[in-house]
Amino acid sequence: MELQIRGVSKTYSNGVQALRDVTLTIPAGMYGLLGPNGAGKSTLMRILATLQEADSGTATLSDPSTDSGQAPSAGSGQRIDVLRQKDEVRRTLGYLPQEFGVYPKVSAEELLDHFALLKGIAERRARKEVVEALLRQVNLWDVRKQKLGGYSGGMKQRFGVAVALLGNPKLMIVDEPTAGLDPAERVRFLNLLSELGENSVVLLSTHIVDDVSELCTRMAIIDRGEILLETEPLRAVDDLRGRIWRRVISKQELSALEREHAVISTKLLAGRTVVRIYSDTEPSPGFEPTAPDLEDVYFSAMSGHIGRRGEQPESAVRP
Amino acid sequence: MTFGNIFRFELAYQLRRVPTWLYVAVLLFIVFFQTTQTFLPDARSGGYFLSAPFVVAQITVIDCLIWLLMAAYVAGDAGARDAETGLHPLIYTAPVSKADYLGGRFLAAFVLNAGILLAVPAGMLIGLYSGGVEAPLRGPFRPAAYLTAYVFIALPTVFVTTAIQFSFAVLSRRAIASYVGAVVLLVTVLVASIVLAPLLKPDVVQLLDLLGLTVEQWGEGTPAQVNTRLIGLDGSWLASRLLWVGIAFGTLAFTYVRFCFSHPTGTTWWSRIARRGDAHSPTPAEVATLRPTAILVPQAPRAFGLATRARQTLAIAWTSFASISTSWVGLVLLTVVAAIAALTVFESPQNLGVPLLLRTDYVLNNLTFPDVPPAYLIVPLLIVFWSGELVWRERDAGVSEILDAVPVPEWVPLLGKFLGLALILALCMAVRMLVGVIAQVSAGYSGVEIGRYLQILFGLQLADYLLLAVLGLVIHVVVNQKHVGHVATLVASVISLLGTELTIVHELLVYGSTPEWSYTDMRGFSGSVAPWLWYKLYWGVWALLFLGAARLLWVRGREAGLVVRLRIARERFTKRTAWAATAAVALILTSGGFIFYDTDVVNEPATADERIEQLAEYERRYGRFEGIPQPVLTGTNLRVEIYPDRRAVEIRGTYHLVNRSGVSIDSIHVATASGVETDKVTFDRPAATTVADKQLGHRIYALAAPLQPGDSLDLDFEVRFEPRGFASRGVQAPVAANGTNFTNAWLPAIGYQPFRELSDAEVRRAHGLPPRPPIPSLDDPAARNDVTGVERIAFEAVVGTDDDQTAIAPGTLRRTWTEGGRRYFHYVADGPIGNEYFFFSAAYALHEERWNGVAIQIFHHPESGADLDRMVRSVRASLDYCTAHFGPYAHTYLRLVAIPGQGVGLRAETSTITYREGFALLRPEDDPRGFDLVFAVLAHEVGHLCGAVSYARVEGAGVMSETLAWYRALGVVKAAHGQEHLRRLLSWMRESSMVPPVRAAVPLLRGGGEYAVNRRGLFAMYALSEYIGEDRVNAWAPAPCEAHPSAEPPLPTTLDLYRELQAVTPDSLRYLLHDLLAANTLWELETVRAVAEEREAGAWQVTLDVRARKVVVDTADVETDVAMDDWVQVGVFAPAEEGQESGRPLYVQMHRVRAGEQTITVTVPREPARAGIDPYHLLIDLATDDNVADVRRRIRSVAP
Repeated sequence: MELQIRGVSKTYSNGVQALRDVTLTIPAGMYGLLGPNGAGKSTLMRILATLQEADSGTATLSDPSTDSGQAPSAGSGQRIDVLRQKDEVRRTLGYLPQEFGVYPKVSAEELLDHFALLKGIAERRARKEVVEALLRQVNLWDVRKQKLGGYSGGMKQRFGVAVALLGNPKLMIVDEPTAGLDPAERVRFLNLLSELGENSVVLLSTHIVDDVSELCTRMAIIDRGEILLETEPLRAVDDLRGRIWRRVISKQELSALEREHAVISTKLLAGRTVVRIYSDTEPSPGFEPTAPDLEDVYFSAMSGHIGRRGEQPESAVRP
Repeated sequence: MTFGNIFRFELAYQLRRVPTWLYVAVLLFIVFFQTTQTFLPDARSGGYFLSAPFVVAQITVIDCLIWLLMAAYVAGDAGARDAETGLHPLIYTAPVSKADYLGGRFLAAFVLNAGILLAVPAGMLIGLYSGGVEAPLRGPFRPAAYLTAYVFIALPTVFVTTAIQFSFAVLSRRAIASYVGAVVLLVTVLVASIVLAPLLKPDVVQLLDLLGLTVEQWGEGTPAQVNTRLIGLDGSWLASRLLWVGIAFGTLAFTYVRFCFSHPTGTTWWSRIARRGDAHSPTPAEVATLRPTAILVPQAPRAFGLATRARQTLAIAWTSFASISTSWVGLVLLTVVAAIAALTVFESPQNLGVPLLLRTDYVLNNLTFPDVPPAYLIVPLLIVFWSGELVWRERDAGVSEILDAVPVPEWVPLLGKFLGLALILALCMAVRMLVGVIAQVSAGYSGVEIGRYLQILFGLQLADYLLLAVLGLVIHVVVNQKHVGHVATLVASVISLLGTELTIVHELLVYGSTPEWSYTDMRGFSGSVAPWLWYKLYWGVWALLFLGAARLLWVRGREAGLVVRLRIARERFTKRTAWAATAAVALILTSGGFIFYDTDVVNEPATADERIEQLAEYERRYGRFEGIPQPVLTGTNLRVEIYPDRRAVEIRGTYHLVNRSGVSIDSIHVATASGVETDKVTFDRPAATTVADKQLGHRIYALAAPLQPGDSLDLDFEVRFEPRGFASRGVQAPVAANGTNFTNAWLPAIGYQPFRELSDAEVRRAHGLPPRPPIPSLDDPAARNDVTGVERIAFEAVVGTDDDQTAIAPGTLRRTWTEGGRRYFHYVADGPIGNEYFFFSAAYALHEERWNGVAIQIFHHPESGADLDRMVRSVRASLDYCTAHFGPYAHTYLRLVAIPGQGVGLRAETSTITYREGFALLRPEDDPRGFDLVFAVLAHEVGHLCGAVSYARVEGAGVMSETLAWYRALGVVKAAHGQEHLRRLLSWMRESSMVPPVRAAVPLLRGGGEYAVNRRGLFAMYALSEYIGEDRVNAWAPAPCEAHPSAEPPLPTTLDLYRELQAVTPDSLRYLLHDLLAANTLWELETVRAVAEEREAGAWQVTLDVRARKVVVDTADVETDVAMDDWVQVGVFAPAEEGQESGRPLYVQMHRVRAGEQTITVTVPREPARAGIDPYHLLIDLATDDNVADVRRRIRSVAP
């Protein structure tokens, strides 16, 4: 299973260019799309989920395995043009949007059953089993008879997950899924997602760096509609080794420091400021080298020190 | 498969919700009410079953209207719920095709609505069999009646409107759009069809009939017909249904094409156009560095006092107003308001299609009280929509919880929203004013009175709407559920607007009910504003009280349960609130008390039921005195004092009575009028009062010495008309500051008055009175001798009025003088006049001309814009013609007097023709139809006056008066304007749907309703005059005059007319006279084909294949074919020239035509263009298009 996105661009009618020539290759497994708010993540998600049109570019979902014993529903394992063959895509799509509403007067069980029907599970007994399994999986079985209007934010999110999981989708698009969840829910959710990654393409868009580092085998960083970096998280972190430095300073020293060094992030620690800088070479004394993490990769890419923006040679990306 | 799932899910979802069943319940209740209350009296009096198909059809039509507005959310929810709840990303990404999704949803909505409408037959059946309706009236149970009404009327309407509602909701992604779409569609269709009715043929008008309003026509005919005739789809109604279903499919197709499963981007088309080439990157995100606080937020002072509250309220008002008026929905709705205003201003059905002078008061009356009732509904229906929008605005946007937590008291947003709604309504009024002014200016009228516009639109009408606005807002706040609130607001608005008409509850109990104010140029407001103000004060305080309650129950935050809200309300109820409430209640009691005193205590009006009971009692007590010998009134001498400022009249009079009965009379019965005080009734000889029944209006005086035959006596009386309180104001009031007119009905009458008897058969039965036919039969000899009401009297009166007014009474003006600050006029009638006459008083201007010794006087309202020359010309021409053909004009004057009122109606009585102010505005010279309707109508009125005879009050009386007056008018038109002009006028009369033709009727001799008397009769007379010859037909006219001079019994009837006409009809045409007048005959004449061949130069042979049929239709609409061998005109016409409608006739001759198909061959000198039988429609044929056909050429091969 592979999703190939080539040169997708989109400009909104109010003039905002949301996506600029986005090219990605997403194999089966968890793929993280990291970026700040307004980067174009949701737009890309919606385009792939057939809810919006792209101005240009292609996106193809293909199953390179020639094993024709595949279930016929997923386009018979052939290539699906995601942008044009919307019906086929929807048959194998699981989409969890960033925000959505529900029918307040319907219970979770009923609405999930209805969705199961809409997604093609026609046989009543099978449907019942699937619904029960999913509700148990997202931990909503106990409250399945409650009306959706009374659900908390996290419960609604879980319901959305259940809907997205219906029909064993081969393409899962998950947009900012953990934003409203408490830590326990978040862990559970990420567990759920990780089990999916076996046979399907799971595209996870988020601005929470930890989600990507914990879960994703591959990632891309997007900002202002452009892909800044497409890499594997571990490899990216590795590549940064020796280039991230750290120093504890006071607030007043910050502006001076910024002029001299490439500050990529600042944090607070017991009332004092901790800066991390990017430097290929050893910077002025006072800085200590530190082990980089994915957050540093992210900030470095955003500041343009690595990735496309900095015109650095990208890390070799193995397809 | 998916289709079925979506369908079933939607169906189940909506069936589980309360509002759906609420719609069913409301409909059931309304239908039940209609069956047992509204339609019951009609069925009783009409003599048909309550379960007649016609009644079922009517109820179905009305309830379709109600359903359409009330249950808009069914289709709206089905179409837009996904978008509104935000579930759409989940549903749109499911593998469902557009067709399945839209189709399933639409079908569910349609099935739901069709199911809701099953409440109509269900409600009817419950109403019929629940015990309120007696068995004979119920009629047999005929499923076919309900079935046909449901399938032919309800289902197509439901389908079309559901389709349109659904489309609006889907494409706009908002459920409420279905309501807006329905309102726009409904009001536009209704208004357009009513306004355009006089201009279009009935077939075209029927095409516009989405809702089945033309079902009215099924109610014509006899009770037996009404009971049995099932509603059927035929002819133009079928076409109309198919057309609208086609439109529905088109709309659905359009929706299917335009809808797509995509994320709504929410940019308007305007911004798309405005920013086309302006692509730019999104604003960059900041890197995650901390900055020292460089931006300092200043400390602003905060205030929470009244000034701040006021500012906040105004800000909320402005944003509410802006959000409504700048949305595309708001703009569309304002355009609709403007369009409907334009329609009603430019084309009132009342002015018969004649162009008008757009005087300000006329325009304003059309804008505020349109002749087309649905036009009045548009703004109230929009108030229902906007009040819901405003109350739910924050919750719909999801911002309500944030807003609810700000430190603002509840009354601020409530008042702010109300002011915003008020601003929008003021904008609607401004739009109407703009339309009115533009109409006036573009029509060239120069006297636009802006002040009047402001007064009426922004003062009087806006106040009505503001009360409704408060109602809408308060209901939505209190009910707190969008769909239920919508239904509740709709029902409350309907009750508020129509409550006093639908039930007999007092006005003070129906919110918003106010007596109508009225304004005309002649009369001004005539005091109608004062009572209006009192009522508005009363309701205004109620509105404030309601707003206070809404403020207490205002929902803030998440607590929506009623118990909790009541508790919170108690917390909000401070001492100040208590004071305000007490003050409000006190004001209500005072103003309400005053109103009640002025309407009920001072005047003690009787309700309709009480009035009927009084009349029944009158008949029971005094009916035995009917027809007893009583002296006849031969002379009246009056002294009338009119006090326009006090709206009072005092009359002192003397009757001169003569005993013509041949026996001695010992007691005089005097009937006194209601609404006036009659006293000081004395005779010139001793008499004792035996009965003085003030309540029923009957007195009996016993004479000391009986009145011998031939003797006379004088009766003196005084009559005073001085109503008190609110009742007597407005346009309908008889006495006003300017424009007084009243009849002699206030004066006492002699003897028992059979006119007072109840005529309704059902009502008579209910009050235990023996049945009495509404009008005596033509063959009733006693009725011909009944001269009550047609006596002729000598008349003399002195009328006094204000210094600046002119008073008019019957007779020539002998003298006028001023005395004591008042002006007096002495009128004496030169000859005997009928005992029905008018008095007038107003600041008239007089325009006088003479015609052969007759003074033509026009008393008109100065500057009313009346075209006096045209009126005089018409009168002159009419007098010329009538006196030449029908006998002399008996009086020395002919008066036209203007009376207040917006209509164009005229009325002729005793050498006086009254016309309403609206008539003065007609401008027939701009009429594009090519005939002068004003001239014809005026000639008709003069036709009433000259050559008229007093006729018996039996069947056919209408023919004697109206039809003959029209016949004379046709002659005048022909003499003055020519045959072509007359033909155009007749053609319009045939085709306009103002008086639609009726197939099943009694023969003309027996009268037969409006169509018979005002159309068929004159067509028949015109045909006779064409066939027999006008002079011959006119020749009979003097004869009845001579045979029956001045109203001596036996009075003439249509039988006399018939006999006289027979005398002048040649034998060969006697059959035609019979067919036209004595039987209800209809011809069906059709030219199937017309072919012309040139035989030689200058000789064309035209061959016509025609089909003819003659039927007699009885009152049960049963046709009987009749043998036909009639003389029918055959006409061949040359091609039409430039600017002409038809070419000149090449050949017009009578041929004998028999029933069936036949060929007629004629020869004409030139090439013909059209040919046919009965080209001028002399014979009564209801299908007028097929008489004449285009002529086709046949090329004859030339022999070698």
